[in-house]
Amino acid sequence: MISLDRASLRYGPILGLSPTTFELPDGGGITGLLGPNGAGKSSLLQLLSGLLPPSGGEVRVFGQAPFRNPAVLARLGLVPEGDRLPSGLRADRWLRMMGELSGLSGEALKAAQARALETVGMADRAHLTFARMSKGMRQRIRLAQALLHGPELLILDEPFNGLDPEARLGLMDLLRRLAGEGVRVLVSSHILSEIAQLTDRILLLFRGRLLAEGTVTEIRQLLDRHPVELRLTGEPLDLARWAVEQPELAALRMEEGAVVLSVRSPRDILPRLQQAAAAGRIPLRALDPLDLNLDAVFQYLTKDHA
Amino acid sequence: MPIYAPTLPPAPDLNQGQPPALVLMRFDLARLWRQKIGRFFGFAFLMVLIVKLTVIYVKYLLDTNAALRPMQDFAKAVLSQGAEFQAGLLDPASYLLWFLVALVGGGLVARDTLYRVRPLMYAHPVSPRDYLVAKLGFASALPFAVLLPFVLLPWAMSLMVAGLHGPVWPTAPLRLLPAVAVLSLLMGAMAVGASAMAATPRAGVGWVLGLVLGTSALASLVQGLTGFVGAQALNPVLLAQTWPQLFVGMDRPFMGWFPAALGTAFHIGLWTFVAARRTLPSEAVI
Repeated sequence: MISLDRASLRYGPILGLSPTTFELPDGGGITGLLGPNGAGKSSLLQLLSGLLPPSGGEVRVFGQAPFRNPAVLARLGLVPEGDRLPSGLRADRWLRMMGELSGLSGEALKAAQARALETVGMADRAHLTFARMSKGMRQRIRLAQALLHGPELLILDEPFNGLDPEARLGLMDLLRRLAGEGVRVLVSSHILSEIAQLTDRILLLFRGRLLAEGTVTEIRQLLDRHPVELRLTGEPLDLARWAVEQPELAALRMEEGAVVLSVRSPRDILPRLQQAAAAGRIPLRALDPLDLNLDAVFQYLTKDHA
Repeated sequence: MPIYAPTLPPAPDLNQGQPPALVLMRFDLARLWRQKIGRFFGFAFLMVLIVKLTVIYVKYLLDTNAALRPMQDFAKAVLSQGAEFQAGLLDPASYLLWFLVALVGGGLVARDTLYRVRPLMYAHPVSPRDYLVAKLGFASALPFAVLLPFVLLPWAMSLMVAGLHGPVWPTAPLRLLPAVAVLSLLMGAMAVGASAMAATPRAGVGWVLGLVLGTSALASLVQGLTGFVGAQALNPVLLAQTWPQLFVGMDRPFMGWFPAALGTAFHIGLWTFVAARRTLPSEAVI
């Protein structure tokens, strides 16, 4: 569905996105585009949504270059960052114009508008002006705008910014539902927890470079320089005695009622740990991986590339 | 039974709608229609039009009514005659119309800049050219639509009351409508160019007025300093008044065909170029 081959983007002398290569397969699902402010997320989304041509390399969406390509633009929906909408304008009128810009008209437009509003849960409030809507409602209308023409690819730039927790969860549910229906959702955010809640598949950008791509577990396994930390809860001394005999052990730290191991290749040590615990050779009560989450992966990657 | 991957419902037919430029123009027109500004200017221009029609009827009476014959000399001294009278039908192409164009046109592009609408539009099958044509078309169609009754109604009334020998020439629309088209394009290009440089609709109004009055003042300043009359070709207000005079063949228009054409082409070209540059997708940052 999406492929970038050494695609880069320059804003004059400033490099917005270094040569980047990745592919996203066809079909539904959510991919999180993660990175701090200025990482190049919006630049990447501008390339994908056909707003700008790449300064170098090649961008292909649905097998074609998206820049000023109606055939591609008709199949993708964009929800840009920001919340500013003409305050005195009614949402349904705005949606009608956006639908017409996509080439819809007459009954097809009415049906598409009703379906999109139903999907985002705004069917009974679309007659309101934007000034009378909450931020969450406006965000839903912006999403409805992107859904009008039945896109196969939905691109959202920082859609959770400024939303309260309830609206955020509601939007996440909605995106999951769309992904379940077969829409490929690409959502950017600089907040780790948002992406972690939404999806496991991420593209990690930092300073205009793509640092990693895949699931959190896959990326974590590639980080050889950073041994995985496991907290074993039980009798610390017995656990430590067993741990020091393991060849994968890189470091060991004693805590009250637990021991924290830093291990290389946890895939090797975990089966042995399981067998030892099952055979009663170690008094293990709990096992917690401490840095197999997105937060840790992000910290390690950005530290390595800083 | 296998579990199949979810498939999307068939996409709606996207080839039924109107051209994007037309959609955008209709949207701007509907927005203007809902605003109160239209009522104020509608009333103002209606009053001017009624005065014009009254003058035409008075001229007809002066020519045909024997009882009013003693007043003819006085009337000729007060009312314009011949080609000057025909060109005078488009008097509204002065500050009132410029003011309307500034108020409406100043927000056309600036509003989309403020609300970041252009990235959304360009993410639809809308090209920057569609966008520019829509804005330029609407900003030019507005003064054209305002001036159209000032050409057609006096002409129709003159034909009805006095036939081919009435105060308004039978060929007047053929001469005045091209002039209206040129000056409307001039006004539209300046409004859209100025609006493209503004970040808010209010600033857009300021930009349009500033450009129109600023270039007029500049033209007068250059003429005053150098004595070069052709400098007035930079003056958009004077250009708008000159085109009807040229088309109806007035003896002493404000300026000749060449400086008028050059000045108008300069303004239309420059401000269309500015608007085109400022509405490129690269300016429409997400």
